[in-house]
Amino acid sequence: MHFKVRAAAKEDCKEISRMIMELAVYENMADQVKTSHEDLKRDGFSPNPFYECLIAEVPDEHKTKDGHCLAGRSTCGHVSVSGQRQPGYTVVGYALYFYTYSTWKGRSVYMEDLYVMPDFRGKGIGTGLMAKVAQVGVEKQCVRLQLSVLEWNKPSLDFYIAKGAEDLTAKEGWHFLRFHGQTLDTLAKEAPKD
Amino acid sequence: MPRMCKAVIKAKELAEYEKVLDQVKVTQKDLEQDGFIKNPFFHGIVAEVPEQHRTKEGHAKVGYALYFYTYSSWKGRALYMEDLYVMPEFRGKGIGKALMSKVAQLGLAAGCTQLNFAVLDWNKPSLDFYLSQGCFDVTADMGYHCMRCEGAALEQLAQGDT
Repeated sequence: MHFKVRAAAKEDCKEISRMIMELAVYENMADQVKTSHEDLKRDGFSPNPFYECLIAEVPDEHKTKDGHCLAGRSTCGHVSVSGQRQPGYTVVGYALYFYTYSTWKGRSVYMEDLYVMPDFRGKGIGTGLMAKVAQVGVEKQCVRLQLSVLEWNKPSLDFYIAKGAEDLTAKEGWHFLRFHGQTLDTLAKEAPKD
Repeated sequence: MPRMCKAVIKAKELAEYEKVLDQVKVTQKDLEQDGFIKNPFFHGIVAEVPEQHRTKEGHAKVGYALYFYTYSSWKGRALYMEDLYVMPEFRGKGIGKALMSKVAQLGLAAGCTQLNFAVLDWNKPSLDFYLSQGCFDVTADMGYHCMRCEGAALEQLAQGDT
């Protein structure tokens, strides 16, 4: 199946938001999603963005059976004000990533999300998106691409391991820890005065 | 603060502690370049002690925290603390806690809702310290595993050879 991967434009944020929710549903965590498409627009398209995003599109003749990109509305083939969305193309996947830093190895890229709509899987689109993230990272002299996967998500684990990723939790014992909500507020209140 | 970069190179002590010294490839010059450009790859804070408490070698900078902004597609802006380090002779005095609290404060001021970091599961003193401060273990509780592509695997992926 022919598909294109391109950088997201701010007009894509509604589609990205839709797919973020679809990915959360797949991970059984739909109630965890708090970001809106307005948040995505503000945080991804400012002079110092918090993330970058790639979009995968297929020609309209391959759009889903119900003929829509969003439930109940057709935005297929829509040309945005910026003119960056191609007429005749439908958004079917995305990769959201940002730059990180290792004090041992230097610049790195972290792929926060990789998602392809179920009807479009098995056609190389996920690979195409991830390869483009890697390419963008390598061009910026990143030496690592990192991501995280839920341990029960065997299809995704197998996909990443087939691409050469190592499971650092299993291999080296790395655990992610997090402060959020009340615990983050409490910690911040204890900061010394400047 | 480019002088912080010399302090970060003392992070080699941290690498020694984590038993992986041969993996440190970053130089002081890399840090100065990558931390102090228009869209920096990281931010840092240092802990300094007054002159009378300097080390025998004359160091006043005795600890640091290095962090950067990240993004959760579910929760929005977040922070990742890559390193938290206090020189051994200055531990047990609240310096590590103060550094971490300051990172949290800076993150909240920037609209972040999470402070994330990673710890090796055998590093019990650090795990106990962090858990006692109120954080939770995302890997143990939710099942997330850290994955990495680097070296030849990354090159092949970028060339679309997989």
